[in-house]
Amino acid sequence: MTGMRLPAKAAVYALVAISVLLVVFPLLWMVAAALKTQAQIIDPNGSLLPVHPQWGNLSRAWNIAPFGTFFVNTAIFSIVTTTGQIATGMLAGYAFAVFDFPAKRVAFYLVMSGLMIPFTVVIVPVVQLLADFGWVNTWQGLLVPNIASALGCFLFRQFFLSAPAELGEAARIDGAGEWRIFWRVYRPLAQPMIAAFTVIAFLQNWNNFLFPLVVTSSEHLMMISQGLTIFQGQITGTAYNLLMAGSLIAVVPVLVVAMIAQRKVVEGLTLGAIR
Amino acid sequence: MPPIRSKARRSMPRPSIARRGRARHWGTASAFVLPVLGLTVLFSVVPLVMVIRRSLYAGNIFGTNLTFSGLANYREVFATGGGHALIVTAVYTAGFVAVVMGLGGGIALLLDVKLPGLRQVRAFFVIPLVVPPVATAFIWFTFFQPGTGLFNRALAAAGLGQVSLSSATDAMIAVIAFGAWQFFGEAVLLYLAALKTLPRDVLDAASVDGASAWQRLRWIRWPLLRHQTALITIVATLTGLQAFTQIYILTNGGPQGATQTALYYVYDQAFGLGASGSTGLADAMSVILFAISLIVTMTQLALISRPARGAQATRTVPARMGRA
Repeated sequence: MTGMRLPAKAAVYALVAISVLLVVFPLLWMVAAALKTQAQIIDPNGSLLPVHPQWGNLSRAWNIAPFGTFFVNTAIFSIVTTTGQIATGMLAGYAFAVFDFPAKRVAFYLVMSGLMIPFTVVIVPVVQLLADFGWVNTWQGLLVPNIASALGCFLFRQFFLSAPAELGEAARIDGAGEWRIFWRVYRPLAQPMIAAFTVIAFLQNWNNFLFPLVVTSSEHLMMISQGLTIFQGQITGTAYNLLMAGSLIAVVPVLVVAMIAQRKVVEGLTLGAIR
Repeated sequence: MPPIRSKARRSMPRPSIARRGRARHWGTASAFVLPVLGLTVLFSVVPLVMVIRRSLYAGNIFGTNLTFSGLANYREVFATGGGHALIVTAVYTAGFVAVVMGLGGGIALLLDVKLPGLRQVRAFFVIPLVVPPVATAFIWFTFFQPGTGLFNRALAAAGLGQVSLSSATDAMIAVIAFGAWQFFGEAVLLYLAALKTLPRDVLDAASVDGASAWQRLRWIRWPLLRHQTALITIVATLTGLQAFTQIYILTNGGPQGATQTALYYVYDQAFGLGASGSTGLADAMSVILFAISLIVTMTQLALISRPARGAQATRTVPARMGRA
């Protein structure tokens, strides 16, 4: 298609520019609004750009709600659940691909049924279970139900099914145990897959809103998404500059990480959907 | 679940790295499988059984004093706005899917053009997918504010009327618009991946033979993409059925239930302002929602197990179910 005529090329670039603007504009609007004064915010004819950037809005927002606690909590939650999802998913996926054991098929279908049951459908009984355990408003209530990922198990199983058998056979002849074969031979092979899954699992856990919302209500356990809604309740009326400053605080760290790990993010987002 | 079974049968006995000697590895295998198996059963399978059973019982939230009440909860759901919530879910999901597919497909076609710089642009469309939806929903919330919001300023400048989240139609447009903005990047990525699998030589040959860009799209790309389009539509549908954050932030289900979807009805009945100490209604609506998503997932699995005509076979898993 190198033979495209100039008007056609220009049209493509123009449409792409509009599409990019569709994504970027709301984010730029957020930055601009976060730096405006309250008077500029409520003026219907005010400039779209912050005339005298109010950098102080960011620190004011940071001080209204315990954003530090929110970030630490979100980090703990995301790191623990992502690590858990990868470890348990990889082990189970490996076992389903490699070993032959009693009731394997039943076990596999049970795990796969987890893919057919959206969390949103069982949200009420899950909270009831956690209440029975006395786990509402606790770390274990937040973490334990999110440690296993049926999707992770499935993806790792597919991966290990296509891994070469000779490597394991050679190691076995050399007298390596099953754990050693898994850890030293097959886990390193799965590294690209682990990286892609880590990135999307981490982002999903970081952004998880509904689950923490129904399991916690105390501020010292709150994560950034829920914390933002608390923050909104604490600022008064139309202080949208502060609301946007708070949103900016929540967006920037994720944006930076996503841009750094860009290729893995794209890989992860298309993983599991169509390959 | 016949499609899963047939898929599993195809791949399971393949002796790639599978080993014999079941007695020897029994211990290792069960230690490897148990965490995922146990947690999935405890937090997915058991709760599903619980919710189905409880939807047939009257009783309080703690599950004491349960008495069998047949379909009374389901009748009550429809008597208390549940039917309306299902219609709202259908309207939201249809609008969401239409916008996501249109934007996603269109932009992917643009980015697939071989011109310098377009590959790098792809990264922009990932942003709304990965930053916290609560934060970006607040941006859209300010867009709709009376008088000062971006949309109202633009409308006023154009001499048109105002939009408001307290109007039923505008509120629905707002949640669809934000929901689609947040998710359409996924469709862009999936379509781009699908476009890459198309036979380049056939397209080039058509080009040499004088087929216009529209003819190549209509007669070559579209027929080859139909299968993937169906699959991406299903991924979007499953996501649309589970919309929560945008409704929570933008409208709270209002005004007067105009944006209260089935899931939001469940949330409201069990945890929100509508909570009444009994979860019977939330349980019944959860079961209805499960039935709907099961039908969609079954369609998905049926499509996956039937290889695409013309295009090369694709492998897909029922992913992306956990986005709320």
